[in-house]
Amino acid sequence: MSLLEVKDLFVEFPSMEGSVKAVSRVAFDVKEGETFGIIGESGSGKSVVGLSLLRLLPANARISGNICFAGKDLFSLSPSELREIRGKRISLMPQNPAGTLNPTLKNGLQIAEVFERRRIGKSEGMQKALSLMKKLFLRNPEKICAFYPHQLSGGMQQRLIATISLSFEPELLIADEPTKGLDPEAREGTVELFMKIKREYGKTLLLITHDLNLAYEICDRVAVMYAGEIVELDKASKVLQSPSHPYTKGLLQAQPRNGLIPLGGQSPSRIKLPEGCFFHERCRHANIECSKLHPEMINYNGGRVRCHLLSLR
Amino acid sequence: MSSSILTVNELEMSFETVEVLKNVSFSVAAGETLGLFGKSGSGKTTLGRCIVGLEKPSAGEIFIYKKNTQTKQNTLNMSRREFRKLRPKIQMIFQHPETSLDPRMKVFESLIEPLRLHTDLERADLIKRGEELAKLTGLLPELLARYPNQLSGGEIQRVVLARIMSLSPDFVVADEPTSMLDASVQAQILRLMQKIQRENGVSYLLISHDLEVLKKVCNRIAYLENGTISSIEEL
Repeated sequence: MSLLEVKDLFVEFPSMEGSVKAVSRVAFDVKEGETFGIIGESGSGKSVVGLSLLRLLPANARISGNICFAGKDLFSLSPSELREIRGKRISLMPQNPAGTLNPTLKNGLQIAEVFERRRIGKSEGMQKALSLMKKLFLRNPEKICAFYPHQLSGGMQQRLIATISLSFEPELLIADEPTKGLDPEAREGTVELFMKIKREYGKTLLLITHDLNLAYEICDRVAVMYAGEIVELDKASKVLQSPSHPYTKGLLQAQPRNGLIPLGGQSPSRIKLPEGCFFHERCRHANIECSKLHPEMINYNGGRVRCHLLSLR
Repeated sequence: MSSSILTVNELEMSFETVEVLKNVSFSVAAGETLGLFGKSGSGKTTLGRCIVGLEKPSAGEIFIYKKNTQTKQNTLNMSRREFRKLRPKIQMIFQHPETSLDPRMKVFESLIEPLRLHTDLERADLIKRGEELAKLTGLLPELLARYPNQLSGGEIQRVVLARIMSLSPDFVVADEPTSMLDASVQAQILRLMQKIQRENGVSYLLISHDLEVLKKVCNRIAYLENGTISSIEEL
């Protein structure tokens, strides 16, 4: 059964130069207990999708479409109903843990704040937080609680954020770029952390990342985003081992182990999107149809792909 | 390999009681890319900062050779004024592209700023040279009139590269230049650095914690462990 269903999501931001089309026609569903990944390069609209789910976008954002969480339409909820979902039933592990934690509060207090809102006594709350911290591989949690965030490494800050995000035992956890800027050791720790969250909490996870290795290691299914839309959606192992869309192929070839071959050109302007397929200017196989007609998502080889060239096969 | 461009001899560096670099010695040849691999806290960035004069080592020697000659100067014995003259030839790319540019300056002004400071070029020539550099680094003309916060990480790193290359340096310390970028943009920036190297013969010290990346683009890799170079691998 699907816990989350996103249908026809459009997000635009007005600007002086025109409307910026951040997300177009995005549709996917996340099943209960599943780890679903959204991958793509910076600026492809991944994080905007994550923030739309919690309606955390700036007030000037124009949103249309449908997001259903456990059968409820999130766009029709009142602010008080939304507060009951945010952080409790859907929790977000934001990008950049160092910038997310309050630098003037000791770590213990930051966790205690969460329990205050749940009307759980301070000592009981701290006990819960300490046991959660131990489970998430934070050794010596009492000492960590007495520190300030800047006294922790990037990997430790990540775990502290994970503790706060999981303290309400949410049904859906959204993790936005959890490995960005981490060194290999801290990155490995993050992979281990998510494996543990998956295994022991059986949580439904929505992972937003540009780290293809991370997506391969922990996701069940992935959606590849390019210029604000999904271009490929299938099982993670299939997409990341034998991709169908030319963009996904390009992304994989740019990995150092696959030759560090860069994709030519740059992503199109989101104010004036090109006619036809958004990727056709960078695609080696593009033909006249690709430059004129925008492709729809089609069923291909068990997954879904947005490419004219595959519909011909 | 051709003549050396940089030699570091028995470099030591301590912050108060913490020894960050111990007996570090290596050299870089003209046109070579030497990778510097190490974990967080192994002293990679400190070593890079010592070379470009942003940190003062406790002991040791750093020789910079004049290109195509074997005339060498120990930068640590130089006066500030002497070192400032040499400085355009030794440049550094920092890890966080978003903090490398002045947020109040438009991209094109940032790009030509080093030329304005270190050369006597007229405004018209500055603009011409700036446009050539933008072309060399693949920067679209429409981006040049924007502010840094209106550019992506990859685009800013291109501006940083263009700025650095404006003074035709002999040696560039690149400190994790792509760790904050996506794989596809990372490949673009590294390939661009290689292209500039082929055209200008610049040498790089490429600092990274990603061994796969280093193996792909370097001639040799130096492994830094707890402030000491444990080995140098030829590729």
